[in-house]
Amino acid sequence: MTLPPSVLQAVVSLGDLLDLKSFTEVCQSFAELYRVGLKVFDGTGNKLVDVKVGNADFCGYIWQKPDGRSQCIATVGRVKSEAVPEEAKVTAFDCFSGCRYAVRPVLYEGDVVGRIVFGPFVPDDLVDLPQTLTSISNDFDAKLAAGYMQKIRRVPQGTAEKIVKHFADLVDVLVFTGHKNLLTARLHIEAIQESYRELQEKNRQIEESYSALKELDRLKSNFLATMSHELRTPLTSVIGYSEMMLEGLGGPLTAEQREYLGIIMEKGESLLQLITSILDISKIEAGRVKLVVQESELGQVMRDAVATVMPLARKKGLKLLCEPQPDLPRVHCDREKIRQCLINLLSNAVKFTTAGGQVKVSGQRLPQEQVALTVADTGIGIAAHHLPRVFDVFYQVDGSSTREYGGAGLGLAIVKSFIEAHGGQVKVESVVGKGTTFTLVLPVRASATTIPMVSSSHAAATG
Amino acid sequence: MVQFNNETREIAVKVVYYGPALSGKTTNLQALFQKIDAKVRGRLMTLDTKDDRTLFFDMMPVFFRTAAGVKIKLKLYTVPGQVMHESTRRIVLQGTDAVAFVADCRRSEIASTLAYWNNMLKNLEANGLDYRSLPIVIQMNKQDLDDVRNHDEYQDLMQVIRPPIVPAVATRGEGVLETLHLLLQLTFRHLDSLVGLEKKWKVSEHEFLDTIFAHVDLKGANLEGAGGTR
Repeated sequence: MTLPPSVLQAVVSLGDLLDLKSFTEVCQSFAELYRVGLKVFDGTGNKLVDVKVGNADFCGYIWQKPDGRSQCIATVGRVKSEAVPEEAKVTAFDCFSGCRYAVRPVLYEGDVVGRIVFGPFVPDDLVDLPQTLTSISNDFDAKLAAGYMQKIRRVPQGTAEKIVKHFADLVDVLVFTGHKNLLTARLHIEAIQESYRELQEKNRQIEESYSALKELDRLKSNFLATMSHELRTPLTSVIGYSEMMLEGLGGPLTAEQREYLGIIMEKGESLLQLITSILDISKIEAGRVKLVVQESELGQVMRDAVATVMPLARKKGLKLLCEPQPDLPRVHCDREKIRQCLINLLSNAVKFTTAGGQVKVSGQRLPQEQVALTVADTGIGIAAHHLPRVFDVFYQVDGSSTREYGGAGLGLAIVKSFIEAHGGQVKVESVVGKGTTFTLVLPVRASATTIPMVSSSHAAATG
Repeated sequence: MVQFNNETREIAVKVVYYGPALSGKTTNLQALFQKIDAKVRGRLMTLDTKDDRTLFFDMMPVFFRTAAGVKIKLKLYTVPGQVMHESTRRIVLQGTDAVAFVADCRRSEIASTLAYWNNMLKNLEANGLDYRSLPIVIQMNKQDLDDVRNHDEYQDLMQVIRPPIVPAVATRGEGVLETLHLLLQLTFRHLDSLVGLEKKWKVSEHEFLDTIFAHVDLKGANLEGAGGTR
């Protein structure tokens, strides 16, 4: 990468540094003040300003004579381009007509960027018209010419030099100011262009990393889905054979063997549940879950969910209540997904409620064709600052490795995805030490949308 | 890059003073402005903000002729030090022939100095300039303050290249000429190896430096062992 050439590298010409219109005005007022003509050329000899004062009749008369014309052209050519010393000094150019020009280079940063031509003026020591003028033609009218010359100002050489120096100082300030302004303006633009180019470059890099990350995320979800599936198959056999042995299909068992097998089965089941959750979340992330919407009786769904969690609740010594309102309407939803949502919420509630507590699931009809399913517990509660993140994937309120409560942090993320897929929403309220209430609001007629992607970068559940 | 004009026998050399904010880059140029004869230098152009911080850069041209009639033009620039002017720093570095890295030598500035140093190397690279061969001098400025680095504490700046270090107190003009002199000496040698200044242009290192420093007020400066200045 290299930068485009900057104005700092550019060679600037006098015309670029001066505002020609206002500079011409300055020259005009200057020429009027001294009543002498003024010309300014740039470094390559282009005329930038030309103010004539007093010499029109005189030069016009000479111009009428062929010899006069050719000599005039030669003089003007010398004044304009004959070399002068590269320093702040005035060089005098005498015209064949007796007039004179004072020439001084415009120097900037040690370079000649132009020249100032002051004149023509009549040197104050000129007495008669020179012979070089009177001899240009036989019919030259010296009296007439001398009359015309009266209109051209007489200036002593010393004064002319002072005037030119004064004007050169003025031009120097104008050029410096012009250059400064030019650099300021152009550098503003260049700096912005360069910042923009840099931002574009950074954006491109960010986009590249983002697509690389997205691809990795997709691969991770794929891997999880595949692995969960592969894990489930042998696990099902472990559970199945344990069950067969428990039923005595492999012969009689001692009480101890039964107890051990019971533990194997129980742990196997919770492992299976965990794997199923991972599989679910992977499917959601990969966008592979579809709702199977059918008319469902929510009361039945609630009772099914409660039946599943009941053994756990009993074991912990909790009261588990199921209170669907009698006028609960039939709802279009994916019955299986809603049941799983309730199971996830109820399992959490049971997990975080201590013995003697109560977990209650209820259902109410809401206005605007909606129903609410509520799971309320009297457990430990969730601190306010954790509440906004409990639905993130893998989020744990207690993230330490020695935490008291197990779980993968997937349950609530799944609930949120499933409910939102129904066009519903999940709410949570909690008071630490008093309990937590989760509310699922569902439309009576769910439009089967695709499951929203959950973001694993934000991460999801209390348990 | 250095500009050679065979027709007008001119050499234009660009020197940039680079460094963190408030390290003394503009102060260096101001000191040079005072010391260099007004006949051979232009105005010090400063594009600054209200609060005296450099917005874009400072620039000062210096110009003179050698005995053989070669015109040498130096353009001295500073970059804006504030972090936000990163792109301007890169633009000003464009086509530079030499760099004076002006650093605040206090220990408290070590981290930001290193960051700007590395950032400068990156910006030189972005301009297609090879910092391994480019003449670079580090000026350790503000030696008059407390808690300055010792000589053996510059290792962090010596990881990629090993530029010479010149101590300075730019506010008093100390070390300013020494920095420029050393830098121009390195620059001459670099340009000579590139284009044969001595052979082609009949400009010797001695003459190059002498012609420049003949127009400089050398009071209090210590330029011994550097090209033989008067």
